Amino acid sequence: MIRVESLCKDFGDLHAVKNVSFEASDGKVTALLGPNGAGKSTTLRLLATVLNPTSGTAYVGQHDIRTAPLAVRSTIGVLPHNAGIYERLTAKENIRYYGHLQGLDKAKVESRIDELVDLLEMQEFCDRRVGGFSQGQRIKVALARALVHDPKHVLLDEPTNGLDVMATRALREIILHLKREGRCILFSSHVMQEVSNLCDDVVIIGHGQVVFDGTLQGLRDKASEADLEDAFVKVVGE
Amino acid sequence: MSAYLTVLRKECIDNFRDRRTILSSFSLAVLGPAFFVGLMSFVLSSALGESDEPLVITIAGANYAPELVEFLRRENTTIAIKEIEHPAQALRDGLEKLILVIPPEYGDRYTRGEVNSLSLVYDSSEFGRSQRNFSRARSMVNRYSATVGLLRLVLRGIDPSVARPIVIQEVDTASPAARALTILAMFPYFLVLVIFMGGFYLAIDTTAGEREHGSLEPLLTQPISRAALVMGKLTATCVFSALSLLLFLVSFVLAVPFVPLERIGMSLQIGLLDCIAVFLIAVPLIVFAAGLLAVVASFAKSYKEAQTYLTIVILVPTFPLILTRLMNVETSIWLMLVPSLSQANLISDVIAGQAVFATHIGLSALVTSGLAVAMTYLAIWLYKRETILI
Repeated sequence: MIRVESLCKDFGDLHAVKNVSFEASDGKVTALLGPNGAGKSTTLRLLATVLNPTSGTAYVGQHDIRTAPLAVRSTIGVLPHNAGIYERLTAKENIRYYGHLQGLDKAKVESRIDELVDLLEMQEFCDRRVGGFSQGQRIKVALARALVHDPKHVLLDEPTNGLDVMATRALREIILHLKREGRCILFSSHVMQEVSNLCDDVVIIGHGQVVFDGTLQGLRDKASEADLEDAFVKVVGE
Repeated sequence: MSAYLTVLRKECIDNFRDRRTILSSFSLAVLGPAFFVGLMSFVLSSALGESDEPLVITIAGANYAPELVEFLRRENTTIAIKEIEHPAQALRDGLEKLILVIPPEYGDRYTRGEVNSLSLVYDSSEFGRSQRNFSRARSMVNRYSATVGLLRLVLRGIDPSVARPIVIQEVDTASPAARALTILAMFPYFLVLVIFMGGFYLAIDTTAGEREHGSLEPLLTQPISRAALVMGKLTATCVFSALSLLLFLVSFVLAVPFVPLERIGMSLQIGLLDCIAVFLIAVPLIVFAAGLLAVVASFAKSYKEAQTYLTIVILVPTFPLILTRLMNVETSIWLMLVPSLSQANLISDVIAGQAVFATHIGLSALVTSGLAVAMTYLAIWLYKRETILI
């Protein structure tokens, strides 16, 4: 479970995240929605402990992101905005690197790699260098890498960016699979389509603040709009 | 510890697969000594040329002065006798390089004891050899002239020394050996450059490059300390620097026998022990270089920017080397306080076979290592700040 409490982040004069609070539960997919520049990525980066909050905090599982960042990092898997994988390593080597950084022993890493290659259907390209991979293949490698230590919490920053329909569908299946495994999944997006297909809960951020926190149906009701996109626009107020 | 080794291994494998890194890291180390040998051989052979090769000279009007021609033949010369109507034109047309023109009236004037004027035609704008050949020819003719003059004085019953109140003896300290040594003085300069170039691309790729490719952010979400992360990256940079230095030494030892040093009676013995000494003296500099390069590259936002910064950084440690070389600074305690300068001086002494003080080596190692540790701390501190991502 991820619990965010009055989280604030300033960059100089810019208040990127203002007093954000919400919860993401285990076994559910929570969407972090918002227009570009609303503070979604910053919130995820704070949760991933690569940025430090100006004030407020968040708990990932039992761990406070401010006081126990190393423990938080062991329990999260992060898929960053762009895959950020190493071009000159093979897919397996990319995954193995993170497995070792997570402190897993050799045998465990290898068995995990085999599981993930099966789960993400990477058999064909897992021993090739990442250099010439398609966007879909890259996302799979990055996702496998994020999942190598079997994290309880998965943070995905706009994972479907640049994916075609087939790859998006495949990714949706994977996310649902992760959800069935009981993980807490938090992902940011601005595509309504995938939100409605995938999410249980929705947190909408506008100008660094939470403007809606609830279920999909709740969103429709609140905005009194049947169409999600219209509801979203109404809630964000733009 | 294991995280540190994991990072180190990954960075080494990753960069060994990068042709650009390999080229930039090791090309100077491998090709530097070849350039060195070429330059040294060139200087030596052009300096030694005068005593070895016969002087090629064309004589016009040789039949007017058979004795002079005979005298020149006894010198180390190859003489071509030709009738040339316009000597200057022949030279300009490139038909001849050096022409001695003897006028028809030579014989008569000689018999009468009058001054004879001979033309030596050459092209002074032609670099090197032409100028030297001209000097050689002139001195030969002068010697002949002096001999004849002496004989004439003796015939008249005069002591020849009357005509030579002053004799100049030239003492040229720029012997071929000294000239060769001047080039050898470039060795430490090269060596420092090789160390910095060895780590150049790795320092960029592991810092600014990683950020530009977006792989730094997920890496920072791994449960390892920033110290382990940074030190893994720095050590990988050190590995490449050290490999580059090793290649340079091997390549240098292999290349030295090709320099015709024995022709100037000089021997440059660089054995395994010298190489080990040079390497050990350089170790603190390698660590310092890795730290310095990484710290500077960490400030850059992109690969390109880092490249620009580091090119300037590489000039900084090599600049004092050139300066002290120009100013002829002797090895002293104070030099030992400066990284790169101290190593360059110590290594230069080792190569030249001079005694090296243990205190100097110790001081150099201590100061440079201290600065290397400071650089490492600075790099770790930089990576602990969240702005490393932005």
